[in-house]
Amino acid sequence: MRTGAVLRPSDVDSLREAVRQQPRVWPRGAGTKTALAPPEGAVVVEVSQLRGVLDYDPAEFTFTALAGTPVREVEELLGRHGQYLPFDPPLSAAGATLGGTLASGLSGPGRYRYGGVRDFVLGVRFVDGRGELVRAGGKVVKNAAGFDLAKLMAGSLGRLGVVVELSFKVFPAPRARASLRVDRPGFEAAWGLLRALYTSSFDLEAVDLVPPGTVWVRVAGRPESLPTRVQRLRAFLQGGEVVEGDSGIWEEVREFRWVPSGWTLVKVPVTPRRVLDLERELLPTASLRRYSAGGNVAWVAWPEEPAALSDLLERLDLRGLRVLGPPGLPFLGRVDSDGFSSRVKQALDPVGRFGPYP
Amino acid sequence: MLHEIPVDRYGAVGRRMARAVEACVHCGFCLAACPTYRVLGEEMDSPRGRIFLMKEVLEGHLEPQEAAPFVDRCLGCFGCVTACPSGVAYGELLTPYREYASAKVSRSWPDRLLRWLTMETLPYPGRLRAALRLARLVRPAAPYLPARLRAMVSLVPDRLSRQRGTASTVAPAGARRARVAVLVGCVQRVLHPEIHEATVRVLARNGVEVVVPDDQGCCGALAMHVGEGARARQLARRNLSAFPDDVDAVITDAAGCGSAMKEYGFLFAGQPEEEQARKLAARVRDVSEFLDGLGIEAPPPLLAPARAVYQDACHLLHAQGVRDAPRRLLGTVGNLEVVEPAEAELCCGSAGTYSLEHPDVAAELGRRKARGLLAADPDVVVTGNVGCMVQIRAHLRAAGRPVPVLHTVQVLDLAYRGQGFPRLA
Amino acid sequence: MTEAVDRARVLQGLRALYPEGRILTRPAELAAYESDALTAFRARPLAVVLPETREEVVATVRWCHRHGVPFVARGSGTSLSGGSLPVPEGIVIALNRLNRILRLDPEERIAVVEPGVVNLDVSRAAAPFGLYYAPDPSSQPVCTIGGNVAFNSGGAHCLKYGMTSNHVLALEVVLADGEVVRFGGESLEGVGPDLVGLFVGSEGLFGIALEVTLRLVPKPEAYRTVLAAYRSLEAAGDAVAQVVASGLLPGAVEIMDRLSIEAAEAAVHAGYPEDAAALLLVELEGEEPEVEAELVELLEVVRASGAYEVRLARDEADRQRIWKGRKGAFSAVGRLSPDYLVQDGVVPRTRLGIALAEIERLSRKYGLRVANVFHAGDGNLHPLILYDGRQPGQLQRAEELAGEILRLCIRLGGSITGEHGVGMEKRQYLAEMFSEQDLEVMRRLRRAMDPGEIANRGKMFPVPQQLEAAAAS
Ligand SMILES: Cc1cc2nc3c(=O)[nH]c(=O)nc-3n(C[C@H](O)[C@H](O)[C@H](O)COP(=O)(O)OP(=O)(O)OC[C@H]3O[C@@H](n4cnc5c(N)ncnc54)[C@H](O)[C@@H]3O)c2cc1C
Ligand code: SF4
Ligand code: SF4
Repeated sequence: MRTGAVLRPSDVDSLREAVRQQPRVWPRGAGTKTALAPPEGAVVVEVSQLRGVLDYDPAEFTFTALAGTPVREVEELLGRHGQYLPFDPPLSAAGATLGGTLASGLSGPGRYRYGGVRDFVLGVRFVDGRGELVRAGGKVVKNAAGFDLAKLMAGSLGRLGVVVELSFKVFPAPRARASLRVDRPGFEAAWGLLRALYTSSFDLEAVDLVPPGTVWVRVAGRPESLPTRVQRLRAFLQGGEVVEGDSGIWEEVREFRWVPSGWTLVKVPVTPRRVLDLERELLPTASLRRYSAGGNVAWVAWPEEPAALSDLLERLDLRGLRVLGPPGLPFLGRVDSDGFSSRVKQALDPVGRFGPYP
Repeated sequence: MLHEIPVDRYGAVGRRMARAVEACVHCGFCLAACPTYRVLGEEMDSPRGRIFLMKEVLEGHLEPQEAAPFVDRCLGCFGCVTACPSGVAYGELLTPYREYASAKVSRSWPDRLLRWLTMETLPYPGRLRAALRLARLVRPAAPYLPARLRAMVSLVPDRLSRQRGTASTVAPAGARRARVAVLVGCVQRVLHPEIHEATVRVLARNGVEVVVPDDQGCCGALAMHVGEGARARQLARRNLSAFPDDVDAVITDAAGCGSAMKEYGFLFAGQPEEEQARKLAARVRDVSEFLDGLGIEAPPPLLAPARAVYQDACHLLHAQGVRDAPRRLLGTVGNLEVVEPAEAELCCGSAGTYSLEHPDVAAELGRRKARGLLAADPDVVVTGNVGCMVQIRAHLRAAGRPVPVLHTVQVLDLAYRGQGFPRLA
Repeated sequence: MTEAVDRARVLQGLRALYPEGRILTRPAELAAYESDALTAFRARPLAVVLPETREEVVATVRWCHRHGVPFVARGSGTSLSGGSLPVPEGIVIALNRLNRILRLDPEERIAVVEPGVVNLDVSRAAAPFGLYYAPDPSSQPVCTIGGNVAFNSGGAHCLKYGMTSNHVLALEVVLADGEVVRFGGESLEGVGPDLVGLFVGSEGLFGIALEVTLRLVPKPEAYRTVLAAYRSLEAAGDAVAQVVASGLLPGAVEIMDRLSIEAAEAAVHAGYPEDAAALLLVELEGEEPEVEAELVELLEVVRASGAYEVRLARDEADRQRIWKGRKGAFSAVGRLSPDYLVQDGVVPRTRLGIALAEIERLSRKYGLRVANVFHAGDGNLHPLILYDGRQPGQLQRAEELAGEILRLCIRLGGSITGEHGVGMEKRQYLAEMFSEQDLEVMRRLRRAMDPGEIANRGKMFPVPQQLEAAAAS
């Protein structure tokens, strides 16, 4: 089969068959992470036909679905039962699938409170590099039997296997939400606020910092206690404008609508303290930034091919993942080569069917 | 835990030793509470490890000699007993085991010499006095002595208090609320008679008539702890007849002695005196336990505010389960803030003659203890056992902050008498 | 490895790495390391070494790799699945002296620790900064972070914020062939496959964790602890489903049955209602106003679920006592029986009532008492099967009963272990949960890290006879 060809297997067996027959395979969900593109010479295996929720008992707070199921579909189903995936899976309005969300290892601003996609996945079935169907993890909220390959798939970018089925735990959706916008005269002041919130005992759903000096905070919980909580939070923040409900601001963040089209969006894991170093370096550039999850991830939008960004990250000993924009090698910045991941790769994909680890 | 101990072979105590082993589920909850484990970080020096080793010996699967170093290193602090959710009566295994094994273990001559020296002197006030005088003479040669003897000599006080007479009955102040007999013991009577005096004063002050029986002697604790059961019984027998029946309680103010006397019934298990021993044991109370139960007249507040850090004596907290009583008593003293030290439940390393036999472990524990206590920034350290007082004092001094160390009753006594704490030495 | 390892050669080799006193070979020294908290298994290793630096651990592993000598890493030996059981032809690497907290960074909410650090000591060190380490196995005053990492240990308070795996950010590991690798980072987020997630819970089969970076979390502002007493265990089990269904997200939901209440009460006098057939313990945590509002609803749900007595922890001391009783319950059951087996199966939470009723039936069928004290909110059962090893055949009956319970969990769509790991004990049941194909991939991963299978040899994977048995059943 030629490069650029796309296969859409309609069931797991044909997917296994496809993996067995092609020397180079690259799995894809809905392709919403536009920058993540197939390596040279690979056949795209799209899992979009493998869709649907297989098992969902609301009383159990878990579900199992095929990898090609759009996240939005699941969210709507959960929403009807007052439940949700607390990590705000990104690009769900754009059509992101469950499998793609796990494989890209992406979580939205809500990951601040209870953790990201890797913290909610319970089990997977995937097709490994030999075309075998492998199951790991389970469908119950707690399970310590066998190696946790479900977590391993988080962020694996399809290089370790094609995920075909996933089980997740979900949480009861908060009945009320409020968002606060706090403006500070400069970045450092806003950054100070972010860090103060990070070690406080406020239960916050999301804490994002947007240069030059805005901190966005989201609180969620019960309608009867929310006003008091917001009031206490405002006292702590010494101000803050309350934006009732979920009025689209967070949707815009989850969907990366603030990123100009054609720009490259890069995810950079960082720590709250190092946010300042990063911002200092990025300030003189033409980039747009959003520091999310209390300062644990920087979303950097870059207008052109991000070679300079990669150098900059490397200087700061940071590593980034390309998410949106023109395709290219997925990782930027510091090169991590550890003996552990290469051995994992060797074990799961001995002939390199899913391409080398970039 | 499953075992194959031939219970009958071990006489009256066999069943009790086996029961302690059975109750142990090998969960390790006691590890954190064990001072030797905390210092050495090895399983044989933990309660769980020791129980296992004693089981192996009693089963006949291990030579007593092999287990000896680890069982010997046990402080007998019973921190593990407090920590154990399964209710393992560790003491009921350890004490008879030590007695059983002591005959089967051969020891090096310095060990034997040290044992002999301590056992032949400490329990006997007259001999102890003589020995201390002698020791003061050899002190200049201390640096040339083997480590253990050096440790021993270093504990010798600079001044020896003159032998003081003790009245045999002290009348209560005001109406008599109770009548008790008091143990004056052995080492404490020689080294720190002032504690005993404070006990008597505080009791009397609170309406207690105090009897001090004449023919009493060492309670036998030191011998009991090193497995010299026969000697312990010999010493204890004297007390069985010395203490009268017609008292409300037999009071001890040294926690080690108190816990030993409370175990008299067990010490004489299967012996003719068992019943008598049990009766005496049932009447034994630590002075703080007794005063707290009786209810005391609140002393006048201290002249200046002070902060006390209360350090549990292992034989009070872990062996006798007396935790709140001393704290409540100290709480009656106005102007005295009582704070808890870090690692309160951990032994200071004194533990009877332990600091003499295992100076390294004891010193490390002493240093840790001093660190923990000083972190609370105290004006005075309070505890309930003379051995702990000596050890803590030595290590506070070594740490460069010789905060005064007092017994709980001494604090009450000073308060009643409107006096402040002794100045820092 | 060859038939018989030349013991003398092993000792000689290790003596070159360790000074006198840190290599244990005498019978008493070895005997003490024969078992972990599952004493039904015993094995005497050739030697135990006590490294004090990570370099020593690395040198030891390399030496073992070169000479084909198996090793077992050991923390505090509190494994309930035989995880730290020694291998007779191998050595034990006891990590208890690697117990330094290397870095505590309260502003980044991070602690970097050596593997022998005791779980609770991390929280103690973080306490002055208003932070703590969240996963709280009942054994937390003694178990080590290294052991927690190996088993992905959980605890009562893992309902909301997850298990060990959700709190480990980075690891430095010496793989079984001696290569030292680092992965993960200090951020809560990462890029690339989640290697930390793979290592946590790998039961020591890949190598030894040398350094662990942990996430700390701020202490909740408030707790509300509710104790509810029920007339039957099943009713308490069903109440859990109702609490979960109500949309509340408590920090902990635990159940104790009559036997465990009796044992725990004897141990700590926590003030549990002693006539209850089962006790439900629910703890809310979070911001004061929120917790206060949740409490109103929780009390309604609990009362409606058939509880005949409901009480709230009066103050922090009372709360601590309640938890002390709960956390000491396994060990306290030692008061009721000379031996027991702890099982750790998981069932879907809506099936708790069914599972508990079935366990009660099995208990009668086998004529063995079963005590239950468990993480109900997660559906994580802990049946303690009481037996007397001196009675011929009792251990075997207890093991059969345990097996039936595990199969029940699998049948109900759950798992054979929620947090104690497979270890030695549940090896055969792994093959009933996973296909040979699934296991083969796991084996390949293992061999990629440990070609000689020297790290924790014999653990987790079913041995061949067991595979056959599983296929036949
Ligand atoms: C009374 C009791 C209550 C318990 N309660 C709970 C509970 O609530 N939740 C829970 O999850 N568990 C519980 N446990 C089980 C046990 O405490 C945990 O499994 C714990 O994590 C073991 O820690 P440890 O230090 O004792 O490890 P060990 O038992 O010494 O070792 C456990 C495993 O970890 C491996 N290991 C140890 N250190 C390392 C390292 N540095 N690198 C790689 N592998 C390593 C060992 O080889 C072994 O396989 C309980 C146990 C007891 C006895
Ligand atoms: S805590 Fe008790 S039962 Fe557990 S190991 Fe120690 S002595 Fe044994
Ligand atoms: S008595 Fe003290 S030293 Fe001895 S095993 Fe128990 S805790 Fe350890």
